[in-house]
Order: sequence, then structure tokens, then C-alpha cells
Amino acid sequence: MALREQWAETAMGVVVLALAGGFLTYSLSVGGVSTKRGAYEISAKFGEAGSLAPGAAVSVAGVKVGTVSQVTLEPKTYLAVAKLSIDPTVKLPADSTAKITSDGLLGGAHIAIAPGASLEDLKPGGEIENTQGAVDIFGLIGSVIRPQGGGSGGASEAAPAPSASQPAESY
Amino acid sequence: MTQTPKLAWKGVTKRFGERAVLDGLDLSVAPGRSLVIIGGSGQGKSVTIKTALGLMRPEAGQIELDGENIVGLSESQRRKLFSRIGVLFQGAALFDSLSIWENVAFRLLNADGVPRKEARARAIEALEQVRLDPAVADRFPSELSGGMQKRAGLARAVVARPEILFFDEPTTGLDPITAAAINELISHQVRRLGSTAISITHDLASAQTIGDEIAMLHGGKIVWRGPAAELRTTDNPYVRQFVEGRADGPIAHTA
Amino acid sequence: MTAGEAARKVAVNPIQALGRSTLAAIRMVGSVGVFAARGTAAALSPPWFPGQLLRQFMAIGFFSLPVVGLTAVFTGAALALNIFTGGGRFNAEQVMPQIVALGITRELGPVLAALMLAGRVSAAIAAEIGAMRATEQIDAMRTLSTDPFRYLVGPRLLAGVLMLPLLTAVADTIGVAGGWLVATRVLEFNPTVYIRNTIDFLESWDIVSGLIKAAVFGFIVALMGCYHGYNASGGARGVGRATTHAVVSSAILIFASDYLLTTFFTHMS
Repeated sequence: MALREQWAETAMGVVVLALAGGFLTYSLSVGGVSTKRGAYEISAKFGEAGSLAPGAAVSVAGVKVGTVSQVTLEPKTYLAVAKLSIDPTVKLPADSTAKITSDGLLGGAHIAIAPGASLEDLKPGGEIENTQGAVDIFGLIGSVIRPQGGGSGGASEAAPAPSASQPAESY
Repeated sequence: MTQTPKLAWKGVTKRFGERAVLDGLDLSVAPGRSLVIIGGSGQGKSVTIKTALGLMRPEAGQIELDGENIVGLSESQRRKLFSRIGVLFQGAALFDSLSIWENVAFRLLNADGVPRKEARARAIEALEQVRLDPAVADRFPSELSGGMQKRAGLARAVVARPEILFFDEPTTGLDPITAAAINELISHQVRRLGSTAISITHDLASAQTIGDEIAMLHGGKIVWRGPAAELRTTDNPYVRQFVEGRADGPIAHTA
Repeated sequence: MTAGEAARKVAVNPIQALGRSTLAAIRMVGSVGVFAARGTAAALSPPWFPGQLLRQFMAIGFFSLPVVGLTAVFTGAALALNIFTGGGRFNAEQVMPQIVALGITRELGPVLAALMLAGRVSAAIAAEIGAMRATEQIDAMRTLSTDPFRYLVGPRLLAGVLMLPLLTAVADTIGVAGGWLVATRVLEFNPTVYIRNTIDFLESWDIVSGLIKAAVFGFIVALMGCYHGYNASGGARGVGRATTHAVVSSAILIFASDYLLTTFFTHMS
């Protein structure tokens, strides 16, 4: 019995199990998104969340400043409420706009915040009032191919005004 | 008074393809006696033992143990039969991945449900019977010489005190001194246990040491049978050619 | 012999040869079937040999981890690159994580782990049991009132069926990790989004169907090793032949059953 061979093989087996276990733990913990220490939470409501999911990036001017920690449905207004976990060193003006955007045609939804001009900053627990939800690409394409009177299907609305249907802003 | 033979082959025929290796073999062994079967290479000596053990099935004939036919038994019936039998195979056939004591105690551990401590003690006792040092108990078969492996195989065969012992070419491949030691151990164990013993060999010195009686197998049949002392004095031409080691004579070498 | 007779002889012999080998193949299917039934019966009914079973768990399961891990990480990484390239042609690079995860859990994880085991485990089993056959150890075992099917074959079959799904689970995890590494380091994916998308997209049936396949493959690998080893004949050369046959027949059966199972599972979902 080549004992040294056995030890090497045993060690390698343990290493493989450890790597697999480590990656698995990491993956599962990403579900409950890890928040940066001291990060503060704000919220934003959208008429359409699209494929926005917890863990998605929140960026200002293309720079990541936080992550989406939760996406839930508000029961009375049927709006998608996203909780954003923001880096404590970043202060956002109270009238900033949050827009759900994506990197490509499919998936990769994240939130881009355009800072406003207000002198006041959003406080922890505050809410971004001006939002623009995800754009329904296929609806847009459909409306171009088969134009229907009025707005295109599924265009986003500025919250909280659920009844008005507005054409999508140029994007 | 004729006793029922311990083991008897009656009209046993075994074919391989066209060739009848055993052709109506009739042979019997009385209880407590030691029979040695001799014969040229490829004459069917191993097959004789394997049919008795049920490792091969004859095309015709019966094999009787204590008067009862044991050909065609089911595997579970045969397993009960094996508890009365011990076998020393040609190369000892020890299990490579088990230590020597686990080999010797194999039946005790796996078929008889004996606890490990007790099995190990009995194994070491058996090793001492075959004059192997207890230090050998924890070694592995590949670490032992051919002679020591045979002794361990012998210990494994006798550890459960079987009624019948089979020895397949016990001294083949061993130097004369080791062979003599093995022969002596075998006859000692057989006498100690009072077992019936059937051996096959082409080593004449071994035959005369181990056996009370010798039978010669040729052409699938027994051509001579007699007490060990008569091996060298008989007139039988087949035996004479074999004993004198001549190339020509009634035994033509086809094997 | 005239030219006509010679020509006729050549024409008949290939057909005879073909007929003979077809019959031999059919006989072998029957023989393997009987062997599998005996082995399975031995594995599922007492008496068992727990010591042997544990040994086989280690040999077949634990010691196969390194080779399975290596296979998985490289396959996952390469797959991610290729799917990314493919997706790029539709501007659909962003779905790469999902496709990679699906491909690994449903197909590549079980099949590649099984193939690595076919080479490693099936060959080892055939060699070990074949050598035992050649040195009369199997006959010796029977004379020691121990059924070789219970002692040798049963534990290996059980170990194959139980260990390969576990190995596949490890392969799935490490394969996705391989894809993730490439995606985050080279293709500039967001690490958390990649994982999030993977987890949200995968359905439990994707993973479970892969594990069921792995159990079937594990049985095949162990069975082929045991069968060819048990029936080895002809000394050392016979053992070598048995080893080769075990690996080749394992691989072929793995691919064939993979196709059948995939078709079945696709119909089901």
C-alpha cells in the first residue's frame, strides 16, 4: 500500500470538496445580499421591475454605488418596490431619478441614478420619487410593427400615478 | 464391513469442447484416509477436484459425499457444504487486499459471523500450527514468499477444522526444502484433525509423504490404485513410466 | 479449388462471421443481464458486507473527486466562453450564465463525471476482479462459504449508484464555478448578478434529472467493471482485455443511455 500516494489523494479530495463547498456557500449567501458595513437603505417604486433582481448594481454616472437588496410588490398600489443599499460615503440629492436599465437586450437589469439639483440629501429610509421602470422591448417592437392608437404597450409610468399611461421617454 | 466412502466419484464425465478430460471416472476415499491423485500435466487432476467442489459441473455421473449426491446443488446448499471442507489452492489464492490474519479468518469473519477479536486469535493459533510467526499476521500476501503464502493458505484451509481437505499441487513451484516442510505440515494437520484428505500432485516425494493411498489418473480414468508404499514396486506400466520419468512408454505426451 | 469455388468461399465467410458475432453480441447482452440481476439482488438483500461497501465508497467516490473536479472546472470555463461567443451573435451574451448552468447540470456534469469514472473506476474494478479470477481467489472465496456476488459485486454496484450522483453534484458546483471565474475575470460579468441569474434560472428538475442520469451511469460503470473482470480468462492478457472491454463498453452504454434518458426527461418536462 503506497501510503504517501493515499495521503496525497486524500488531501486532493478534501481540497476539491472544500472548493466546491466554498463556492456553494458563497453562491447561496449572495441570495441574501451582503451589505457594505454602514450602508444606508433607500427605496424606489416602479411600475415595471423587468428582470431587476436583488444583487443588481446601483450606479451613478456609471459608477457602482450600491446594490439592490430587495424587490417586492406593494399590495395596494401594485408597484414594484426596490430597496437599494447605498454606500455610506455617497449622498444623493432628494430629487434624484432612478431608472431601471440594462446592458444588453436581454437580462442584466440594474438601476442607474441620475442625481437631481436639490440641496437636501436623501436620508436613510427615504424614497426616490422620480422613477422610470424597465422598458418592455418586445412590446415596443410590436407597437412599431403594428402601431396602435395611443401609447405603446407596457410603457413605464412615473410613480405614484398608476392610472396615466405615458409613452416611454427616449431611452 | 464396508463403510460408506467419505467422498466418491461415480462415472464422472467432464468435457471441454470435444475433449473428455474425465471419462467415466470412478474413485472413492474412505473416511479419515489420505488419497493422492497423480498423473501427467493436463490429465484432469485439477478438474477432478473442481467437480467435487462444485466449481465445475460434470456432464455425467455423480459425486457422493457421505453417500449423498452433491452434483447440481444450489449455491446456498453448497455454501453449507463448504463449511465442512477446506481447500488449499495451487497458488494459495490468498486475497491480496486483506492482511494474512484476515485471510486465514476469512470464513470466520464473513460466513460464520465470528467477532473480529476472537477471529484474529483463532487465526494466529492456526498460523502457529503451520509454523508461521504471529508477526506475519498483519502483513499482506504480496509481502510473503511463495512458501509462506502456502502455509498461510494451509492455515486458512484448516482454521475451521474441516472434515475434508483438498490440496491442489501443494508443493509446485517450491524448492525441495520448503516442499518437504509443506508436505510434513500437511500430513501433520491431516492426522491432527482426522480429516479425509484428497491431494493432487505430480511430485512423487510429496505423494508418498502425504498419502496413505495413491491413484493414477490417465485418459480420464484411474489406471492404478494402491497403498503409497507400492508406488515404486508395482508393475503397472503407466505408473512405472511416471515413476521412472521416462519420455517414452504408454503415456504419450499430448499435453 | 477453382476460381468460382474460391469466390464463393470468400462471399460466405464474411456473412458467417457477421452472423456469428451478432449471435455472440446477443448472447452477451443476455449474459450481462443475468449478471446484473444477480449483482443487484446481492446488493439489495442481506447478508451485506458493510466493510467492503465503505471501502468501495472511498475508492469509487472520494478518490475520484480530484479527477472529477479538474474535469468540471475546465469544462465549465470553456463552455462559458463558447456560449458567450454564441450568445454574442444574437446580442444575447447576458443569458450565458443560465445556458451554461443548464448545460452543466443536465448534461455535461453527469456525462463527463461518468466518463472519467469509466476510465478510472471501471478499469480498476475489471483489473482487480480479473486478477482475482486468474489467481483462483474467486473460487477460493466460494469454498470459504462466501458468495463473490455479495462480497465483490454488490458493494461495487451500490457504491457506483450512490457515489456518482454525489460526484456529479460536486461536478455541477465546480463547473458553474469555472464558468463564473471566466465570466467575472475575463468577460466582465458582475459576480453577484451571474450567480443570482444562475440560481433564479435553474429549476430543481434540471439538477435532479442530472443526478438520476448519474445514478444510472454509476451502475453501468460498476457493472461493466465487475462483469468483464469476473469473466476474464487467459491469465494476464485476459485481465488486460477485460480492462479494455470494461472501459469501452462503459463509455458506449453511458452515451446510449444518456440519449435515452435525455429524450425521456425532455418529454416529461
